[in-house]
Amino acid sequence: MSAYLPGTLTDLWDLLEEADTAVMAGGTDLLVRRRAGKCAGRICCLERIPELRGVQEEEGVLEIGATTTLTDLLESATVAARLPMLHQAVRQLGSPLVRNQATLGGNMCTASPAGDTLPALYALGAQAVLLSRRTERVLDVAEFIAGPGRTALEPGEILARVRIPLPEPNAVQHFEKVGRRRALAISVASLAAVLRLDGDVVRDIRLAFGSVAPTVLRCAEAEAWLTDRTLTADNLRHAAGLVRSAVLPIDDVRATADYRRQVAGNLLLRLETYRP
Amino acid sequence: MQHEPYDIGPARPRLDALAKACGAELFSADSYPPGLLWAGARRCGVPHGILRGVDAAAARALPGVHAVLTREDVPGSNRQGIVHKDMPVLCGTRVRHCGDPVALVVAESRDILRQALALVRVDIEPLPVLADIDAALAPDAPLIHEADGSNVLLAAEIRKGDAEEALAQCDVVLEETFFTPSQAHAFLETENGLACLDEDGVLHLTVSTQAPFRDRFEIGHALGLAPWKIRVHSPFLGGGFGGKDGATVQCLLALAALRLPGRTIKMWWDREESFLAGYKRHAARMHYRLGAMHDGTLKSVVCRLWYDSGAYAHLGGEIMELGMEHAAGPYRVEHMDCRGLCVYTNNPVAGAFRGFGVAQVSLAFEGMMDRLAGRLGRDPLDLRRQNALRRGDRNCAGVTLTSSVGLDECLRRVRDHELWTTRHTWKKAAPPFTRRGVGIAAVFNGMGYGRGLADNAIAKIELTPDGRFVIYSGVPDMGQGNASTFAQIAGEMLCQDAGRLEVVQPDTERAHPSGSASAGRTTYTFGQALIKACELMTAKLVRRAALALMIDEPGGITLVPGAVRHLPTGKELPLAAMGAMLPRDDRVCVAEYLMPVSREVPDTGRDFPLGFPHLIFPFAAHLVRVEVDELTGLVRVCDYLAATDGGRVLNPQNFHQQIEGAVAQGLGFALMEGFGTENARITTPDLSTYLIPTSLDFPDTQSVAVETLEHSGPFGMKGVGEVGLNGPLPAVASALSDALGARIDRAPVTPAMILELLASRGAQA
Repeated sequence: MSAYLPGTLTDLWDLLEEADTAVMAGGTDLLVRRRAGKCAGRICCLERIPELRGVQEEEGVLEIGATTTLTDLLESATVAARLPMLHQAVRQLGSPLVRNQATLGGNMCTASPAGDTLPALYALGAQAVLLSRRTERVLDVAEFIAGPGRTALEPGEILARVRIPLPEPNAVQHFEKVGRRRALAISVASLAAVLRLDGDVVRDIRLAFGSVAPTVLRCAEAEAWLTDRTLTADNLRHAAGLVRSAVLPIDDVRATADYRRQVAGNLLLRLETYRP
Repeated sequence: MQHEPYDIGPARPRLDALAKACGAELFSADSYPPGLLWAGARRCGVPHGILRGVDAAAARALPGVHAVLTREDVPGSNRQGIVHKDMPVLCGTRVRHCGDPVALVVAESRDILRQALALVRVDIEPLPVLADIDAALAPDAPLIHEADGSNVLLAAEIRKGDAEEALAQCDVVLEETFFTPSQAHAFLETENGLACLDEDGVLHLTVSTQAPFRDRFEIGHALGLAPWKIRVHSPFLGGGFGGKDGATVQCLLALAALRLPGRTIKMWWDREESFLAGYKRHAARMHYRLGAMHDGTLKSVVCRLWYDSGAYAHLGGEIMELGMEHAAGPYRVEHMDCRGLCVYTNNPVAGAFRGFGVAQVSLAFEGMMDRLAGRLGRDPLDLRRQNALRRGDRNCAGVTLTSSVGLDECLRRVRDHELWTTRHTWKKAAPPFTRRGVGIAAVFNGMGYGRGLADNAIAKIELTPDGRFVIYSGVPDMGQGNASTFAQIAGEMLCQDAGRLEVVQPDTERAHPSGSASAGRTTYTFGQALIKACELMTAKLVRRAALALMIDEPGGITLVPGAVRHLPTGKELPLAAMGAMLPRDDRVCVAEYLMPVSREVPDTGRDFPLGFPHLIFPFAAHLVRVEVDELTGLVRVCDYLAATDGGRVLNPQNFHQQIEGAVAQGLGFALMEGFGTENARITTPDLSTYLIPTSLDFPDTQSVAVETLEHSGPFGMKGVGEVGLNGPLPAVASALSDALGARIDRAPVTPAMILELLASRGAQA
């Protein structure tokens, strides 16, 4: 097995021109797949390229380098204060050992419907900054992720940064993950919600569900129903019905599709606790 | 503290604690002698079929491959098994589960081994798959072991009184069917070992095994070798729980070593192979009818048990026997009619697992007690106390309990604990979207092999020339701490400090034959032998010291740390001087012990050639408080209390660790650990799909010792390795019933099951 550790983007672009080269940003997914014989070839690690790492705030937008580790995110005061839902999602991802190695960009590029950071990124309206030797483009996270395990990355292109517009300080940020145990568990269903309340009336709401469809699912129907309505159990129950119709879950060893569908709706009911 | 004796009673730190914490203690898996070769098995990957052929040509041609062996290369009977020898070392004509080995490859490196295994071509004609007990019992089912004439490994009964007749006289009769899943041991150190055939034709093995002495016979039988030409060394195990009781890597390693004399061969199953080929807990189905009187007196239990043995026997009959012997619970029940069927299927091989057959029936008998309490409107704890076995009672197998029985005291400790007394207020304080429940369970677990198989141990202790004592352990330490307890026993008996005590892990060449590390018997049986050996050592040293000190009468001589002292004169002789003075033969003492068996001859259980009945039982009462989330069905275990009667406690730290570990493993069994198969193929092949608890999942267990005095045991103890596993599942089922107002009849309890129960019975809570 050949592994490369370029220190600059220039070196990286040269390496990526070789055929059959996988980009690695942490490896907590990639190396598991390799061990299972699901992928082979050369590995090009991004961890030594300084431009790809770090957390910066500029004009209400947080820019997070793709190879920023999840532990770095947990230790970022800005993330803790301004993006508590992302902070919570990261805290429940894997174990300390996994978080020391795994990166935000890696979690996005794996593009699993169960990726723990993804619902928060969808709900926050995050954007992906893609870089190649000659181009730079910006995609919404929902465009970046094309399907289970698939992204919009072209050959020779990498995910360089994630841009997250910071929500208003008084916005409610809610994240809940359902796993089969309290640590080191793959999500069975999850909900990330950002909402602005005017008294008990919902003015703006974004709902993103994980593990209940081929990709993270924004539920526009439920969002539309709840907008300008009061945050009551009855309204939430109605919206939960819309969620259950919208999701496309599967059966697997962790849970049945029926369970995922029911719980996706149920998770919404928890929002009632934010009612003033 | 250097001269403080390493004695019985206090929570002395384990002798191996520092070495393990520093990573200095070498487990079998840590051994990489120079020039070793790697061995691996080609698993068939098919649940049931006729093996038409194995094409090893491509694998043999791969550079770096030293041997590819098939059935034709196996000398001897090619059959492994502890009692029932039905498991091939390498399959020749038939494969019976996905993990069956069809070829053994030996290679220069792990990488080459992996490539070579993939090159072995296997031609299998599939046979109908018997994926569960009912399929195997169907009249037209193909036979998994044709010579047996049936897929039933053992059909047995234990009867007492006239249970059907008594049931007809009862005021209340309840009926229910329960299901418990297969469970993986999931030890940290997976199955592994090394083997080498030396110039003298002696086969040396170092194996992570619970039964080094028995392994010699199992290997010898399978490969046609004289057991005395086989030497087995068993370093500390990185976990066992029953899964390393019986051959895992042993015969395959020995076969490779016989083919490549002089080479050291290593085999180490990865997690996936361990799950595929290792032993599992028997999945079980249990149909119960319980009869009782209005006043709560239990009268009669009629039950039918089915245990899924998987493809081979292992100890399936003996395991089911233990379940049957405990089938009516730790209660006075006048009449019992228990019939059991242990059945071959094409599922992974079931075998020994902590709670040996009893973990299954514990859900059933305690589930029946909860249902009875509900029917009679009785306090569930009080109902258990009313019927609890006491010393002198006959248990449900008709055996008089002559050993210590502390169940009622265990229940009283739970009753008086604030987790029980404050349960109503705690339940009422449940936060939004949450229901709370409190459950209890009373359990027991027979100790030792039972009648028919000598439960013996032989202890050897040596005074070294530099004045220390070396104990040659015959029973492995899987992590439960018995090695250190052996040192504590010697420290107590000989009044010596920890620095003068050493325990040598089992080596069939250096220690004397002793039974396995299993059945809660380890410290009990070996401990008794060791006490006797220490008595012999003391008597010897006193007499030798008298000689050396020129005292004509050995009275008044005693051992003190590091020396022998003559009390009347104050004269002392250092142990180092005595060690240097005596020849080796005179520095060694050996003694043995045989566990007592029941003297009664119950007029039942005739189907069991061995292992029935048991005489000594540890008991326990457990309490659990759970929270159920109504939106997700997730269960949170909030508090756990275990009151355990294990007789006198030799080392509180080791005792509580046993209970805490067993409770965690039992809670895993209750809430997440269902080893999955679909059409006899594994659906939970690794630790990302087969979940075991993490430290965040459960609270600390509050462990309380109820110290009865077991007169037959060393310093009054009974073994507590297993009983703690039997409580969590019934206790959690009881707590969930309390929270949901609906009964639990199967494990593991999944969030989906909880949501269904909430939907169907939601209004009741």
